[in-house]
Amino acid sequence: MSREKLKSLGLKLPLFPTTSVGSFPKPDYLAKARTEFSKGKITADQLRELERKATKFWIKTQEKLGVDVLVDGEMYRGDMVAYFAERLPGFTEGGLVRSYGNRYYHKPIITGEVEWPGPVTVDWWKYAQSLTKKPVKGMLTGAYTIMDWSFNEHYADRRATAMALAGLIRKEVEALIAAGCKIIQIDEPALSVRPEELPIAIEAMEATTKDLSAYFITHACYGAFEQIYPGMLELAVDNFDLEMSNNDLGLLEVFRGQPFTKDISFGVVDVHTHTMEEEDAVRRRVEQALTILSKDQIWVDPDCGLKTRTVDEAIEKLRLCVAAAEAFRH
Amino acid sequence: MSAAAPGLYLSSTGSYPRIGDSPELQVLRKTIAALDRGERTTADLLDAEHEMTRRAIADQMKAGLDVITDGLVRWYDPISHLAGKLENVKIRGLLRFFDTNCYFRQPVLTGKPVRRGPLVVNEYSFARNALGHLPTPKGKAGKLSIKPVLTGPYTLAKFSQAEHSGNGEPESFASLETRAMAYAEALAAEIGALAEYGAELIQVDEPAAVKFSEDWTIFENSLAPLIAARDKAREAGRKVEIALYFYFHDCTSLYEKLVKLPADIIGLDCTYNPKLADLIASAGSPKALGLGLVDARNTRLEDPEVLAWQIERMLSKIDGGRAYLGPSSGLEYLPRDRAFAKLELLNRVREALLGPKGSVK
Repeated sequence: MSREKLKSLGLKLPLFPTTSVGSFPKPDYLAKARTEFSKGKITADQLRELERKATKFWIKTQEKLGVDVLVDGEMYRGDMVAYFAERLPGFTEGGLVRSYGNRYYHKPIITGEVEWPGPVTVDWWKYAQSLTKKPVKGMLTGAYTIMDWSFNEHYADRRATAMALAGLIRKEVEALIAAGCKIIQIDEPALSVRPEELPIAIEAMEATTKDLSAYFITHACYGAFEQIYPGMLELAVDNFDLEMSNNDLGLLEVFRGQPFTKDISFGVVDVHTHTMEEEDAVRRRVEQALTILSKDQIWVDPDCGLKTRTVDEAIEKLRLCVAAAEAFRH
Repeated sequence: MSAAAPGLYLSSTGSYPRIGDSPELQVLRKTIAALDRGERTTADLLDAEHEMTRRAIADQMKAGLDVITDGLVRWYDPISHLAGKLENVKIRGLLRFFDTNCYFRQPVLTGKPVRRGPLVVNEYSFARNALGHLPTPKGKAGKLSIKPVLTGPYTLAKFSQAEHSGNGEPESFASLETRAMAYAEALAAEIGALAEYGAELIQVDEPAAVKFSEDWTIFENSLAPLIAARDKAREAGRKVEIALYFYFHDCTSLYEKLVKLPADIIGLDCTYNPKLADLIASAGSPKALGLGLVDARNTRLEDPEVLAWQIERMLSKIDGGRAYLGPSSGLEYLPRDRAFAKLELLNRVREALLGPKGSVK
């Protein structure tokens, strides 16, 4: 329960604050422009202009919907690890590897000492924040996930790799805070992949956020959380952003045995289906959350990033989140 | 082979990247995408699969392997590729495959999974023909073999679920044990068919058995139909062995149980715990081993001298001195250039062990 911390940071949020996990779908003109850029048909400046246009669209859309804590929508990012790997010395782009089916990606390779080249995300955060009076989250990928989703040819082992990365993610966090950012999300979707390595993830997050003045959120998904709960609560963050709807709120049963002691961004809409939930169904998910969690703990958002939905679907899913939260504020 | 390593074979552990960075290595991806858009036919897809299978086999031959697979380039994933060909199985959403960043589609059983046709026999048959049409490397005449790969019944069952009837009735296939035994029956028929087609070594992957060792009895029981199928083929005069492979988890604590399983070869991922190699070197093995000493999940190349030293310690303790050196798992988790480098490394390890001309070091 970190409402005191939010207050101390000067953040006045309503009960059941609404937010989203990070990514939004790229409008058609931007998707096309990214392809043209990769073929050398448009310049980096031309692409950036369109990324800014799309960012503005999503900031204004979130404001219009009544979302409380905004994100920039990641119009300038592709993969959440590759985006950082492409900008950090020490990484080399690897060849293509398969994700599933006919989907492939360039998995980064750590070939040298990783270094922080200066702020990577701060300019985008400043731009997004300049468009609204509502707080905009700083969005980073955590050290453990970057380690797990990269090959390592340089460091002795996985712990050494995660800790080296934690050092440089911390610098990015410090830069965001210096720029005025008060809510920072550090995503760790790989958190539960190797339950025996939870201590490494905890140590790396501690090194990333310790003694820094911001409200920290981490997002994790597609994991066997029952295997790392309640140990995962030791992660040095204030809020866990979890996909709850995709597994029919099964995680609530896990929380029933051992109290959930932090804030939670509770996923109330499934992001992997074109189907729209009924408003009642979304409200019932919040109701069920309240059987285990207190009203001061709960934030309301989608299960995961919305980038795989269409623009219209993403907007409707966000609207459902806001409607559900508002129903419980009164 | 020298007296120091009379039975050390270089072996694939299954998959090989189906894509590379150059345009000619993207034929399969482009064909599937075009098929999805309605611009290509299933015949085009088959051609592309054939092409990438030939390339996978050629790479393994070029690297000097003795036991080769078709690279599993036709597999959507290790679960749905097999389960999806069985009757009464629907294929549903994506789930993460162990601790990889790869995903598989989950099978949902609407009844007993039944084999109505070949699962990988046709793929095996194509690969064997392809091998025959590629130039045989010097010194390899008559020594190369193609190994078909199956995912084992326990792993298939662990990652499947039974469809809910919605009427509150208990599901016949809701229990893991029932699912595993049903898959075992289907796979046993496939093993019989593969043996009939001439497969002499069949790899059965059971990564879930070491990850979820609490289900050991269910896993062990599900092997019985497979072993019975092997024995029946042998009685019919077929020369066939089953290699059980375990990866994606530390096998050390289960080692004693694993080498007592009724398979002919036990393949082990040695990368999760360096103590496993020490354990093999001290405890020995009553049967042939697959030694997954080359990390199939990381691009860093191991030192061949170090691996040769490890193998030298182990070989004398393995019954008959027969071992299959290979990657710790399938190689599709690596970019193609790095996967090939890992295959070449296997040969360098053997050279380090034997000396470049096969002399004992």
